[in-house]
Amino acid sequence: MGGTFLPIATFVTGAAGRDSWMAVLPGYAVGIPYGLMVLSLLTDYPHENLLQISEKLFSKWIGKMIGFIYIIISGYYGGLMLTVIGVIFEQSMMPLTPRLVFYLGGLMLVFYLVETGIEVFARFSEVAFPMVVITMVLIFGLSVPRIEQGEIFPILSEGLKPLYFGVLKVMPFPMEYILFLAGVLTFLPTGKQELRQLKTGVWRTVFLVGILNMLVVLIQILVFGPVETIRAAFGFLVLGKMVEISRTIAGVESLFMMVWLGSLVIKCCAFFFMTTWGLDTVFSKKGSKWRLALGAVFLGIASKFESGASLTSVATFVEFYLILPFAFVWIPTLWGVSRWKKGAGVQRNA
Amino acid sequence: MRSWMKMIKELTIRPKGERKIRNSPSYSFDEDLKKPLSGQTVKEILSKSSDIVFREFFLQGKERIPCMLVVVDGLVDKNLLDEFVLKPLMVELVGHPELAKATLSNVVDITIQSLLPGVEIKKISEMKDAVSSILSGDSVIFFGDSSEAIVIGAKGWANRGVNEPIAESVVKGPHEGFTETLRINTSLLRRKIKHPSLRIISLKLGDMSNTDLVVTYIEKIASPDIVSEVLLRLGKIKMDSVIDVGYIEEMIEDNPYSPFPQIAYTERPDVLAGKLLEGKVGIILDGTPIVLVVPAILTQFLNVNEDYYQRAMTAILSRFVRYVGAFVAIVAPSVYIAVTTFHQEIIPTDLLMSISEGRQGVPFPALLEALTMTVVLEILQEAGLRLPKPIGQTIGIVGALIIGDAAVKAGLVSPLMVIIIGITAVSSYAIPYYDLSLAVRLTRFPLMILAGILGFFGMSVGLYAGLIHLLSLRSFGVPYLSPIAPLRIRALLQDTFVRAPWWALKRRPQLIDVEEPRPNGKG
Repeated sequence: MGGTFLPIATFVTGAAGRDSWMAVLPGYAVGIPYGLMVLSLLTDYPHENLLQISEKLFSKWIGKMIGFIYIIISGYYGGLMLTVIGVIFEQSMMPLTPRLVFYLGGLMLVFYLVETGIEVFARFSEVAFPMVVITMVLIFGLSVPRIEQGEIFPILSEGLKPLYFGVLKVMPFPMEYILFLAGVLTFLPTGKQELRQLKTGVWRTVFLVGILNMLVVLIQILVFGPVETIRAAFGFLVLGKMVEISRTIAGVESLFMMVWLGSLVIKCCAFFFMTTWGLDTVFSKKGSKWRLALGAVFLGIASKFESGASLTSVATFVEFYLILPFAFVWIPTLWGVSRWKKGAGVQRNA
Repeated sequence: MRSWMKMIKELTIRPKGERKIRNSPSYSFDEDLKKPLSGQTVKEILSKSSDIVFREFFLQGKERIPCMLVVVDGLVDKNLLDEFVLKPLMVELVGHPELAKATLSNVVDITIQSLLPGVEIKKISEMKDAVSSILSGDSVIFFGDSSEAIVIGAKGWANRGVNEPIAESVVKGPHEGFTETLRINTSLLRRKIKHPSLRIISLKLGDMSNTDLVVTYIEKIASPDIVSEVLLRLGKIKMDSVIDVGYIEEMIEDNPYSPFPQIAYTERPDVLAGKLLEGKVGIILDGTPIVLVVPAILTQFLNVNEDYYQRAMTAILSRFVRYVGAFVAIVAPSVYIAVTTFHQEIIPTDLLMSISEGRQGVPFPALLEALTMTVVLEILQEAGLRLPKPIGQTIGIVGALIIGDAAVKAGLVSPLMVIIIGITAVSSYAIPYYDLSLAVRLTRFPLMILAGILGFFGMSVGLYAGLIHLLSLRSFGVPYLSPIAPLRIRALLQDTFVRAPWWALKRRPQLIDVEEPRPNGKG
């Protein structure tokens, strides 16, 4: 989930127009087979992440190369997520405060989470996720009076083709989750029952997040219309700003921002973790010293960006041209080779 | 420089293995304690203390046997000893056929089996047992130079009666509380749980204080891992004295650097019984009415036992009020600071006008205003706590009414600030556990500073950091935020934020391993 719900409407509506909300769920559903493929490798290679498995199956150097790409992608995208924290807080809440302050605040939380370990990170997500969902539902509910039903009609006026592009635009988001799953594999239990629970978890996560993001896109189209939805970089923040009940509850977007911070920290932290796992697997570099260095890299990436617009374009580039193709090719190939080698082994034994 | 570093390290880092604190000096009688048991050696060791009584007499058996009763004056029931020990042995049983058979070699067995009628009588043959028994309030009879002696349980000292604890009083529920005497406390517990599975394991802590301590739990309900962990951690403590549970609390808790309490405590037998039936472990120390309960989770500190004595709906409302109170106590001043300094857009216009009118002429920024008022509140609370009750109340009235009113009239603080601080103080009183209330008071300050510097962003960083800290805590292996994270929906709906009716409490709490299902209700 992370901070996906903030820009998703802009991306997907840009590709699929007023019917974009219909492309969200199928786009997320692509993640299910990928997730199941990753988890199926868990039984054959317990307590090993996909980078270690790649080294075993593809040879050491190809595995290291994949690991290197994994580090670059996750490190850079993690830095971009830190930038998102700074940009949205500066733009929406405190324009006079230097962005560096937001970066440092966000990075401190990320660092604290990373230092306390993956278990605390999982529990943090467990607490933050319901808060995010409740806030989203609150915004949906409070935006209902602003809905103009005509904005989504006529449905499928341009046929199914735009939906295809919409699905393509959504696909990088579940792939981010899959890449995280590829790294976190080391910490997952390998028992039969736990594996079944994990597989159910993949289904649930993809559908829950898919449905929520679909609603995010739908409500923005209904309130702003497709043109305005494409124009607003972080449309959901604008929606939060518009919340008003009588004259008593208004201008509460700063409260919503408190919740979004938790959600963005989760996403940034997930990529921080991914990078540290990559560094550990490929270069055997771990420990606080390397984590500090990585924090500095994140900060360096974040401080490169001057405006929100440049951030959006770079993030789109990374998602669409790096994350999507990398995960799209790597996971099925690895899974296929694993199946093939397993089959060959069985035949040889027979 | 190195010695400074060493000192700082000693003061800040808790050793991982054996926790040795203030070694007791070695005494000349340490070697004597290893000698064979004899009345004469005991006399040599203890005779320098004026409160030790050595009563020498003779038993007229087959041979004339010199005896010596050793007791600590003030720790024994003298009437009991006179009536049921000395009188029978010296007067009433003279000429008794069993006594007539007694010689120095068989007198101990004959006395225990045929002559003394008491319940608590046992034979000992170790010097350290004899000395320890005497100093713990037991009476020991030595027979000539026999290497065996008799310990008679005839303890009797002035002790406080079973009263209602002031800090845990209830409207509906039992009104008895623990006392400073270990055996009274275990008996109070035993009266609540009359089942053979209630285990009471005795230990001694403190090289010099030799404080009795018991670890109590219910077998097959308490997790064996937790029980053994408790015993292991207690076993690691090496101190010269243990006067109160506070001494051991810091030695056995998981994270000594956290302001949040990781071990619960109670002064009520009904609370302890309830917790044991949930699978927890109690630590009762002689000399204090406070009993420790482990493992502890955060939500436990916001729930009270009266919740289980009231109707479910009322209990739910009480809990809701407590949770809201705790939240308000943490964030109220920081929200005020953030809103008035950075996020005025959140305040409705009419209210904003009223606030700015109230703040007109106040020379300090909201952060300084709030910090000053909170410090004043802390001083008032601390001052009122240590003073006798009537003076304490006066301090409260002087502080709250007179100083507050004068400060507003002098234009030093705004009226709204006084209201906010008042609400914060009242809300913090809704937290039932004092330790948690202290932790909340402590966390309020960094949040206020963060809110003053960075508004809601600073507040959220502070709150999330606090959340991460709470998530990283464990109490004897149990996650501190359980059942919120890791999420256990049944426990959450059954007995956390709400309290389900008794007929719906079919299972024990899921926060720790429970081997036995709860047959009817909570236990």
